[in-house]
Order: sequence, then C-alpha cells, then structure tokens
Amino acid sequence: MHSLLRNKTFRDTAFQVGFVGGLILMIVVLIFTARTNLEAQGMTSGFGFLERATGWGVNFSLIEFTTSDTYLKVIWVGILNSLFLGSISLVLATVLGTIIGVMRVSGNRVAEMIGTTYVEIFRNLPLLLQVFFWYAVLTSLPRPKEGISLFDVAFISGRGMYFPGLNVTGGSVFVMFIGLFAAIALTIWLRMARRFRRMEPATKKSRGRLIWMVFGVFAVVCMWAGRIPDTDLLSIPFLKGLNYREGVRVSPELLTCIIGISIYGAAYIGEIVRAGFNSLSKGQGEAGYALGLSPWQTFSRIKLPLAIRAVMPTLINQYVWLFKSTTVGIAIGFVDFFMVISTSINQSGQTLELIAILMGGFLIINYSMAWVLNRVNDAIALKGSQLRV
Amino acid sequence: MAKTYQKPNYFDRIRGDFFSTKLDASMTIVFGLLAAWALWNLVNWGVLHAVWSADDRALCGHGTEGACWGVIDARWRLIMFGLYPFEEQWRSAIACIVMVIVGVLSCVPWFWNAKRLPVLWISGFALFYGLMRGGFFGLTPVFEQNWGGLSLTIFIFASVSLIGMPLAIVFALLRRSELPWIAHTMGLIIDTIRSLPLLSIMFTFAIVLPFVLPGWMIGDKLYRVIVGYALFFACYQAEIIRGGIQALPPGQEEAAKALGMSYWHRIGYIVLPQAFRNALPPTINQFVITFKETSLVVIIGFFELLASANAAYGTSEWNFAHIEVYAFVGLIYFIFVFALSRYGAYLERRLAVAER
Amino acid sequence: MSNSAVRIQAMDKYYGTFHALKKIDLDIQKGEKIVVCGPSGSGKSTLIRCINKLEDYHGGSINVLGTELDDNLDNIDEIRRETGMVFQHFNLFPHMTILENCTLAPILVRKQSVAEAEEVAMGFLEKVKIPEQADKYPGQLSGGQQQRVAIARALCMKPEIMLFDEPTSALDPEMISEVLDVMVSLANDGMTMICVTHEMGFARQVADRVVFMADGEIVEEAKPNTFFDHPKEARTQAFLSQILGH
Repeated sequence: MHSLLRNKTFRDTAFQVGFVGGLILMIVVLIFTARTNLEAQGMTSGFGFLERATGWGVNFSLIEFTTSDTYLKVIWVGILNSLFLGSISLVLATVLGTIIGVMRVSGNRVAEMIGTTYVEIFRNLPLLLQVFFWYAVLTSLPRPKEGISLFDVAFISGRGMYFPGLNVTGGSVFVMFIGLFAAIALTIWLRMARRFRRMEPATKKSRGRLIWMVFGVFAVVCMWAGRIPDTDLLSIPFLKGLNYREGVRVSPELLTCIIGISIYGAAYIGEIVRAGFNSLSKGQGEAGYALGLSPWQTFSRIKLPLAIRAVMPTLINQYVWLFKSTTVGIAIGFVDFFMVISTSINQSGQTLELIAILMGGFLIINYSMAWVLNRVNDAIALKGSQLRV
Repeated sequence: MAKTYQKPNYFDRIRGDFFSTKLDASMTIVFGLLAAWALWNLVNWGVLHAVWSADDRALCGHGTEGACWGVIDARWRLIMFGLYPFEEQWRSAIACIVMVIVGVLSCVPWFWNAKRLPVLWISGFALFYGLMRGGFFGLTPVFEQNWGGLSLTIFIFASVSLIGMPLAIVFALLRRSELPWIAHTMGLIIDTIRSLPLLSIMFTFAIVLPFVLPGWMIGDKLYRVIVGYALFFACYQAEIIRGGIQALPPGQEEAAKALGMSYWHRIGYIVLPQAFRNALPPTINQFVITFKETSLVVIIGFFELLASANAAYGTSEWNFAHIEVYAFVGLIYFIFVFALSRYGAYLERRLAVAER
Repeated sequence: MSNSAVRIQAMDKYYGTFHALKKIDLDIQKGEKIVVCGPSGSGKSTLIRCINKLEDYHGGSINVLGTELDDNLDNIDEIRRETGMVFQHFNLFPHMTILENCTLAPILVRKQSVAEAEEVAMGFLEKVKIPEQADKYPGQLSGGQQQRVAIARALCMKPEIMLFDEPTSALDPEMISEVLDVMVSLANDGMTMICVTHEMGFARQVADRVVFMADGEIVEEAKPNTFFDHPKEARTQAFLSQILGH
C-alpha cells in the first residue's frame, strides 16, 4: 500500500481525478440544491419563458421594441445596445488616448504636463464616480424650455441632446452604417495592401473615388427604401410644450456612458500608447532621418506602425476590459445587456437561466472580440527571429 | 557662418524645452493658454468665489459662480461613516486609520516576507473588525447593515485582498501544475471568470447563490459579494503571479530540484519569493484597480463611500451641490489610489535600477 | 564649387558640460575614403553622426558638398538626401519587407514611381548579393545579410557620400567578411566614404587616409602605410599595439 502511494503515476492520476471529480461533484450538488429550492418555491425552470411577452418596455433601443415583444427580443435589444455603446466608446477612447499618449511623448513640456495631468486624474478615480458625475452634470443642464439652441436645428438640454435626423427606420440606418464601415475598410485596404503597391497613383485615386461613389448610391437607396411613409424626409427637432419633438434624441444616459467610458478608457490607452513609443529603439527613427525622411514621414511610416505593433497585445486586453466596464451603465439606467438581464430577473424570476445567458453572452462577445483582434495582431506582427533592436 | 559655443544658460534651457521649433513654440502657447484658462476657472470656482460654511447655504445655489463647500461641512459625517451610529463614529474613524497604517506598513520592505506580512494584515484586520463590530469591552455592537461610507469601502477592499491573495497563489500554482487535467481545468476557470464583468460576478453571488447553496451556507449578502469579488480578484492576480513565475529563468527551479528540495520547499523558498518580486508592479496596479472597483457594490445596494456621496446631495436642501460632493469623494478616492499608484511607479523604477 | 565633400572647421560638441569633440578640423575630398579609428569614447561615432546632423554641434562649422550645415531645415534635408548612413545595429525597419525598406525613401523623398524605385532597389540588392531575399522581412535574415540590406538601402538614395558607423562590430565573426567585401567593392566604384571601424585590414586595403581620435580630438592623420608602420604619437602607438598586438 505504501509503495502504491509513493508511485508517481498513481499519485498524479489520483490528484487529477480528485481535483476534477471534486469540481464536478460540487457543480452537481449545486444543481441538485437549486432544483430542490426551486421546487419548494414552485418555480419552473427552463428557457420556455424566452417566448413570453415581457409586458415592459425599454427607453432606448436600436431596433423596434414594444411591451408585447418577447424576452428573447429584449435580451437582443440589450446586447445590441451594449455593442453600440461599446463600439462608440472604444473608438473614441482610442482616438483620445492616442492624442494623450502622443502628447506625453511629444517632447513639448506643456503638452506633456497636460497629458500627465489628464492621465493621473481620470485613471485614479473610479469609473462609476466619473459616470455619476457626468450624469449629474448632464441632467442638471437647463430644461428643454431654456435649452441651449445651436442654430435652431440642434438643442442641448437636461433631457438629452436633439439633432436633426432622417425619418427612416433604424434597420436601414444600421445597413447604411455597415456599408460605411465596408467603404472605410476598402479604402484602407486599397491604400495599405501589398497587392496594390504597384498601382499607379492616379488609378488608385480614381478607384478610391469609385468606392465612395458606390457607397453614396448605396446610402441613398437605403434611405429611400427605409423611409417612414407620410413624413418629411428630414426631421428637425423643435420645442413643443415641455419637450422637443422630432429629430434624433441622444439620451443623457447614453451620452453619460459614452463620455465617461471614453474619457476613462483614454487615460489607460494613453499610457499604453506612451509605453509603445518609449519601447521603440532610437535607431529606427535615426535611420529614417538619415535617409532624408521628414519628421512627419518618420513618425507616420516608421515610429507609429512600430509602436502599434508593440502595444497591440496590451491593447487587446484593455479593449476587452473596457467593454466589460460598459456594464456600469446600469447605475444610471442605460438599457444595456446587464440591465436587461437584471430587469428580466426581477420581472420573470427565472434567475438561473438569465444569469446563464448573461455569462454566455459576455463570454461569446469577449472571446470573439479577442479572437478577431488577435488575428489582426498575428497579421501585423513583426516577422522573423533575428531582430536586434 | 561659424558658430561659437556658449554654455546653455537658464534662458536657453527654457527655449530648448518649450520653444525649440516653430511647432513646439505654437504648441506651448496654445496648450499653455488652455491650461492657464482651465486652472484660472478652477481656482475661481473652487477657492475665490466658494462658500465654505454650511451656515451660509443661502449664499449658494443656482446661478452663483463659486463652489458651495458648505455641503461638505454639513454632510461630511454621512459621507465618511454612512449610517454608523453617530456617537460611535469615532470607532469607525480609528478603524479606518488602523487599516491605512497597515497599508503604509506593508510598503516597508522589512515586512516583505511570508510570515510578517500575513501577521500584519490579519492582526490589523482583526482590530478593524473588532472596532467596527463591537460587542466587547463595553463597545456597543454595530452590525454590518449599519456600516457605511469610507469604512465599508476599506472593509470590502481589505477582505477581498485578504481572501483573494492566498486564493490567487493557489490558482497560479494549480494553473502551472505539471498535471494536464488540473492545469487545463484551472485555466478554463480563470479565463472564464476573467472575461466576465465584475458586476455580473457580484450580482450572481448576491442574487443567485441563495438558490444553489444549502441554507446553512448562504450567509450575509455582504459576505457573499466579498467572496465573489475575491474570486474575481484571485483570477486576475493568479495570472499576474503566473507571469512573475514565467519570468524566472528555468535554471532556478532546476537548480532547486537538483539540490533535492521538495515541491513545497521549491515553491516557498525559490519560486514564489522571486515571482512576487517580478510581479510587484502589476500587483500594486491590481490593488489600485481593486480599490477603485469596490465602488461597484453601490449597484448591488451597499452604502459605501460613493453611495453615501449620492445620499449626501440627495436631499432637497443640497440637491444642487452634486459637483462639490463628487469632487470631495473623488479627492478621497484620489488620495488613496494616487498614493498607491505612485508607490507602484516608484517600485518599478527601483526594481529596474536593481536589475542593471 | 570646389572638390571638397566634407569640410569641418573648428567644430565643438558638448554633452551638457562634457566637452565631447574639441576643435575638430577635417577636410575630405570627393572620392576619398577615410577610416576613423580610436578607443571607445573617443568621439568618433559622434563625429560622423554630426555630419548628417543626427547630433547637434555647438561651435565651428560643417560644410557638406557646398551646403552649410546649420539650423536651416532645408539645408539639413538637402544634406541628408545626399549622404547615406549605415549603422552599427543595422536599424532596418522590421515591419517592412527588404524591398520596401529600400524603396521607402526614394518614393517619399525623391518622389520616384514605385516601379522605378523597385528597379533601382533590385539593382543594389544584386550588388550586395541578396536579390533573392527581396520579399522577406529583416527579422528573417542573418545579421550579415541585414547589414548588406542596410547598405543597399542607403545606396538607393544615390548618395554622394556614405557614412559607416562601426558597420561590423555587432556582427558575428563569420559574417564580417561578407559586409567588408561589399564595402570594398563600393570603394572601388569611387564612392566617397567615411568609415568608423576597427577593421584594420580594411583600412590598409582601401583607405586614403586614416584618422586617429582620442578624448574628443584628432590625434593623428596619415596615409595607412605611414599610420600603421610609423605612428608618430604615443597614444596612437599604444592603441595600435593593443589592437594588433595579439
């Protein structure tokens, strides 16, 4: 018996069986307790409730949603809202963060000081505090009656911002945005891709123009097809009674989340960008100057591409982390994925199922985001192992 | 066009730093004006035109250009101590100071070993808990439901660190176990929890756990949230420790093996001390994030610092003074977090020098 | 215009209060090959980095191909276009292929068309004997190959003067000769070259003059044969006995 306990293979197997078996046992016990507890309370389990009508509405949705729509749809609304908020905030945070990061390595003392102050303030305060702060600021703006008017076509008030918009369905706008992204991606591809290197600049320019012409036609078709009948095409907000009518409303909740997350995220991204530039060896830049490239050419062709490659892995983690932080929206009532799940739990009582959906949803979104970004990273990673930099 | 050399004087140095090229000069002027304008407005609002006393409430309100610090004068006890009984608030204050001292002491290298640091933290934490909870030496018992403000924030942070750190070490060791099933299962658990938002973990532990646990294990909601947070912390920290272990040259563990040291001796004397040294800066950073994110418990319904801030201007008397209240609470968070992150930066520089 | 390629007069350079280069006078004719040597810290790298203004200088003057190297950005650009530089650590751009490394500056600075630039680049890659690597990335090449690419990259700008800053000192011994061969053939083509190097065999073979520096000063300047066989100064003799003594 003793010799068996001292046998490495036996011990290894026993440890592994014990560990994995223990975890499985724990999960089984949890499931059984849950079942007894639920039966004691007379609750049914299963995903059947997803087909039921919710009976409650949401105050912000990219797709049409009414109180008679199902739980499945409201969850989809939440996911779309989260993705919408996440993509806007991540883009803005990246732009702002890059500016801050470049300011901190610009060599100009005043710019460096401003960048440092920015990072130290916004990185050292909890995101939730910042969100509460911006929300308090935005909702204490003047009431619509005294709202700030921009040339009488756009208005800022404590109830949100109102912009001129088009009387078209949300779906067609969505399709148009996909078209816009495709056009931008094609343009970048045309300008960057190796296979178009030998193309004459003039042809390149005309191809670029062609892409945007096609997109223009596509956008017009989208708008025309998606028109809401019996309305003017252009919808300009105007004050009627206590609030504005028509136009596109950006709610204070959405605006708060966008401002809060972008500013907070930019502080972190700024630090990453700075680290990226600092990690570059002086030699690459000097080689650029020695070849006669201008400072701007050296920056845009050599330093920036190398810095992006250096920070890409850190940046990917930061994006996933920032996307997770969009859940703070619930604190001020922005209808995101998390809030939809939490309201559904209150309303339907199907706690376990909804939590499972929440976790599954975040896993899928985060893993696919990381997967896509990691493929991008692989594609642009420096090749070869003989570098001495 | 020969130049003669002159030693750089003060003027030249300023010129080099701020006006070395046309672009540089214009940046200095534009950004400098911007910064001066912002600073001037801030001082104007926060100091020159501010109202300082709660008795002068009538002076502030809509339309005035100064800050109304009277709200802090009137409500600071609510912000700092929440619903803790008024006469007992000195206990809460001392408890906070005790934990701050523990925090400062753990920055002293003398405490950095596997015996002193746990002793320091556990005894400090016990003192904190005893003072807050009471029930002995004639101290009136005050239950967790009545804790609030800064002391609750510190309590959550300290318990999360205290539970999470040992858990993180275990997780890290399991994840780099030589036994594939253990390593992979642990990897799966860590990766899964890391890709979930902290809020959803806290929410799950607060709301869902009562359904799946047998009655005697459920416990108070506060402690469930703390356990959930500690689990989340442990998964992040485990990856940091693992990074520290991976940065060790493989020769270290091989040498220990060759000397005939057992697994626990290798881990305890060779691997972990060096791994923690490598992982010190990201670990401090993790503490910074953990302290900031304790604020999320507001959403689950606890009355910590941020929630008491919301309550502080939540009355009709002070409802206009949100900026002042958030500025005050922000300052409290900032002091803690900034001190910690500066310390982390200092350590990073020191380690970088030591490695040379 | 005279036949002078580089004329340095009474040039001073400081790092803070440290006097790095002291009253340097150096005249280099077109087509001349100069080897600069000296103990480490003697200022030889700093000297050639001043010639294309990678380093600032603080007194005296530098004139390259008739253009005064002063604070005028146009002059600096002009001089950098006409001088090529090869670095100790190659400094190839790791995110671009070999061919792109060679065509980048001609396209951006000389405004050549892509096809034209690539044709020129392939010509120089053949001259340094690695045309087959054109589509690889720097990290996929050995150190010697990378340094030859770096030479080709500098040549693609059709410079009048080539500056070499210790081109072989970061290389493994077996790769040094392949780089030196390229440099010798370049010298035979009549290029004006200023080389900071410790390769004394190379100096003997191609240099028109050897410049010996120590402590920020030019100590001795002579033809290679005189320099190696009859050094005048004590410091030169000490240096030569250390480097050739083994």
